Amino acid sequence: MSRIRRLPASAVAAATALALALTACSSKAEDDGGDNGSGGGDGASGELETGAGVTDTTITLGALTDMTGPYATLGASITQVQQMYVEEINGAGGICERELALEVRDHGYDPEKAISAYNELQPNVLAFPQFIGSPYVTAVKDQVDSTDMVPIVAQAWTASLLGSPYIQMVGATYDVETINAIDFLVSEHGLAEGDKIGQIYFEGDYGENALEGAEYAAEQLGMSVVGQMIKPTDEDMTAQVSALAQEGVSAIVISAGPRQAASIAGVAAAAGLNVPIIGNNSAFAPQLLATEAAPALLNNFYIAASTLPIGDEAAKDIADSYLAAYPDATLDNGVLAGYNAIEIITEAARLACDNGKLTREGLTEALRTMSGFPGLGVTHDFSDPANPSTLETVILKPDADAPGGMVVHREAAVSDIAGSFPRE
Amino acid sequence: MSEPLTKTGNPPPSAPAAPPSAAPSGGPAPAGSGRGRLHRRLRRLLPAAGALILLALPFYAEAFWLRAGLFAMAAAIGAIGLNLLTGSTGQLSLGHSFFLAVGAYGYCLFAGDPDGTTTGWGLPPLLAMVLAVALAGVAGGLFSPIAGRLRGAYLGIATLALIFIGQHVLFNAKDLTGGFNGRPVPVLEFLGLSFDNEKTLVAGVPFTAVEKLWYLGLVLLAAGALFAVGVLKSRPGRAMNAIRDHRIAAGVMGIPVARYRGAVFVLSSMYAGLAGVLLALVFQRTVPGYFGISLALTYLAMIVIGGLGSVGGAVLGAAFVTLIPQILTRYSESLPLISAPGTGGVAPGEASELLYGAAVVAAVLFLPGGLVRLPLVLRMRRQARRRTKTS
Amino acid sequence: MTVFSELLIIGVSLGSVYALIALGFVIIFKSTEVVNFAHASLLLAGGYAAVQAREHMPFWLALLAGVVAAALLGVALEFLVIRRYRGRDHSVLAIVTIGLDIVLLTELARQIGPDIFSYRDPWGSRLIELGSLTIPQTRVAALITAAALIGIFLLAFRFTSWGVSMRAAAEHRETAALMGIRLGWVSASAWAVAGALAAVAALFLSVFPTTGLDRDTGLVALKAFPAAIIGGLDSTTGALVGGLVVGITEAMATGYQNDLSFLGSGIGELAPYLVMVLVLLARPAGLFGTRELSRV
Repeated sequence: MSRIRRLPASAVAAATALALALTACSSKAEDDGGDNGSGGGDGASGELETGAGVTDTTITLGALTDMTGPYATLGASITQVQQMYVEEINGAGGICERELALEVRDHGYDPEKAISAYNELQPNVLAFPQFIGSPYVTAVKDQVDSTDMVPIVAQAWTASLLGSPYIQMVGATYDVETINAIDFLVSEHGLAEGDKIGQIYFEGDYGENALEGAEYAAEQLGMSVVGQMIKPTDEDMTAQVSALAQEGVSAIVISAGPRQAASIAGVAAAAGLNVPIIGNNSAFAPQLLATEAAPALLNNFYIAASTLPIGDEAAKDIADSYLAAYPDATLDNGVLAGYNAIEIITEAARLACDNGKLTREGLTEALRTMSGFPGLGVTHDFSDPANPSTLETVILKPDADAPGGMVVHREAAVSDIAGSFPRE
Repeated sequence: MSEPLTKTGNPPPSAPAAPPSAAPSGGPAPAGSGRGRLHRRLRRLLPAAGALILLALPFYAEAFWLRAGLFAMAAAIGAIGLNLLTGSTGQLSLGHSFFLAVGAYGYCLFAGDPDGTTTGWGLPPLLAMVLAVALAGVAGGLFSPIAGRLRGAYLGIATLALIFIGQHVLFNAKDLTGGFNGRPVPVLEFLGLSFDNEKTLVAGVPFTAVEKLWYLGLVLLAAGALFAVGVLKSRPGRAMNAIRDHRIAAGVMGIPVARYRGAVFVLSSMYAGLAGVLLALVFQRTVPGYFGISLALTYLAMIVIGGLGSVGGAVLGAAFVTLIPQILTRYSESLPLISAPGTGGVAPGEASELLYGAAVVAAVLFLPGGLVRLPLVLRMRRQARRRTKTS
Repeated sequence: MTVFSELLIIGVSLGSVYALIALGFVIIFKSTEVVNFAHASLLLAGGYAAVQAREHMPFWLALLAGVVAAALLGVALEFLVIRRYRGRDHSVLAIVTIGLDIVLLTELARQIGPDIFSYRDPWGSRLIELGSLTIPQTRVAALITAAALIGIFLLAFRFTSWGVSMRAAAEHRETAALMGIRLGWVSASAWAVAGALAAVAALFLSVFPTTGLDRDTGLVALKAFPAAIIGGLDSTTGALVGGLVVGITEAMATGYQNDLSFLGSGIGELAPYLVMVLVLLARPAGLFGTRELSRV
């Protein structure tokens, strides 16, 4: 019976000991020069300067992903392909005579976990090749810019994230992508001055950024935009499509998710609204081709994106090794987004190593020298953080036979309007 | 065996209002014996030791744990408020996260400086904090025409409307809230103290925002808990319990039922508002998506797991529900049954959802009264066993 | 005018599906006084079972399999959890159903993953033309099915012995038990009926014009809460009316959102809740709910 009562006694003893230790030196106390980071020399000539996340044997990268929340599909593709990439690099001898390591934290799109995970990984990584959730990237932006200075590749394409020297997006922002999409409608589907373009877009920065692009393009072309804002939970697009039909739109732009795109295409086809439909890169998933909306999507639906589709010949190696590593996984363009992101970070790390400065600062400097980086189908220019890495857009089309469900419809191109889009 | 459990299903008004660290009273300690005296002394020492550990933590624990602890403290403050409303007065609320949002955004509005996209009043942060808590109270008061008329399930679902209204306003009133990406949270400063990320050396240990906020969190939580204990132990507390247990009888006894119910709603909203301010200070940015339904459900889970109607229960439940996902995410690689993200199997995020959902069910079925009653239940079992042995 | 009529029909059809969910919700409340927040997972479980079964069997059999699975899950929840609770406080039980919902939804979402399932239903994306109006066949099917099910249930409630025991249990539990009514059976059957109705609702929420069943399909159950409250939590007629009110409100608010832009965008999701608050201000027990009178 006294077992329980003795427990607090030992607890008290431990507590008192702990409290006494307060006066002793804390492990958190700063030694002199502790700011210099963990490993390596102090940048003496000929020697490699290193910093946070780099030891003599390992380069640690961080991935803040969402594998259990609303972006679980994207998060799974990106994380798996990045893990595969890390193994490939290590199998080929690593970089800078070090192995790569990828620390993954799943935040489930929850701010508590996202902010915690960022702050947990941040001191120990060289860079983040993955950070899903633009609100959380925005949330840490000030901290990144002022103290952490850690390079981040954000898996978002909204213009509001431009301008930080450390936060990088790979591809055109939604505004540019939408402008190019409308340019495609003009050149291939004969849209002309006076026409109306219907746009169904998500609330939040994705949809609103795309709307900005559409409105700019429409203004330049003498057209007008009829907007219908929706929420990610809206899944039946009947009311929106019939509203657009009433307005007599000549084309529909979708800046929403795959489910909404499928519903829009299906409803429009059933109602005989025979206009071209084009979506931003986040508006398609290969799973859609197994649904009732497949015929409508295959007929009259396009996607604007900053990369070739995963089913393209150019991406065949990536797709093959991805499927070899994850036989049950679905091939989608998230795989390419993840691959591109970590490839760019690794390439910058290689350059930084050659420059003798494998630190966050060195990596950022190296990234800024990469002005002609060949992505899949488009060329990226990372020299100016105030501008998207490319203004080019590839137009894709669903295809039931292609791996990943899409094929190229029009090669990468920049429209004149996208080139003139003002950025402050 | 099931007899005492049945009784604790509806905690008696006086029992559960004990502070977290004090062991439940009415224990077996035989008065006068040496053991008993030792036990009593220990009971006095234990809280002191606990407090010392809490005060010393920022000197030892890494920032990750301090931040997790701060989330737990904020959640505890909010849960105490919800427990006053739901646990002690019997008013089901699914809208608690709305009042957290009012507190968080209220602070940003009052303390923030206008920056072209969002408005701000630029008031001194401490004043802004007080005003934000008051604003949450006013929001609770504005809801009282509805809260006062409805009961049980009707009230619960009506408060759900608050969440939808809140989300709508947070996304649409962009000059107040910053819209989808939220707005930055002004740094708290008063009396020359600044809770910012600037490193300050304290006894050789660099203090950044989390270390400094840790002490603020402790002070706010202690004040909130003591006040709630005071309320529950005094006349209003007994009146609230009477309203929960039998509304009509309480009215007959002369308790102004409607006024009490309205007042508790306001008080609970103010607790939520304070929790919101503290959370905002830790996040350093408020985002609208956080203040949705799942957060409100999380708070209900906290008070059920910890113990309905008890301040200590609210604190325990908040710590449990807040820390579990952080621990599972951090140690996913070394925990059995949980697989690292991307390898298939149960991901840490899923595991923590499963765990706390199951904990809610288990607490109600097997441990009515929640975690805070665990020592008491264990002791009763031991006594029962001893009695059967001696007889 | 055409727009208005189309929106009205969309609203009525959606509303009838919401009414199915709300009806199950009300039946559970009437027989056990539990507010069942686990309704979303009953719905998703029924739908997921049906689309899984659809891989191996014809549409109608698969639908039946989904209905049976959801009914069994309902009974299991009642038997394993709800019945075990020994306290008296029904808001505690409501919170327990929240816990159940979290567990079930997490596990279902894990099973479903990123997939979108199609029922491959007999209606497809075909339309019916009524004069100048065009309506998807699925919408008409939903309306007819819901009306039939609700009608059958209301009749059963009035005329069968099961209905009588359920009404008696709702009226006064102890007295009903003394009269020989087996309360356990009443409450288990209520959960079974609620599960079955939710599984049918899952079908109509996942067919054209919606894309298919995925991990988030269960969220629609949130719309049944205002429906049940507007009608009155203990009124089966109320569930029908409440469902229709929510459906029509939502369709109108979405369809005319450009004219309502002064209220901010995306008002369609919020509108049913605003209507609910207004109804509650006028009638605290909903339109058809029993007002509790306390005479002292």
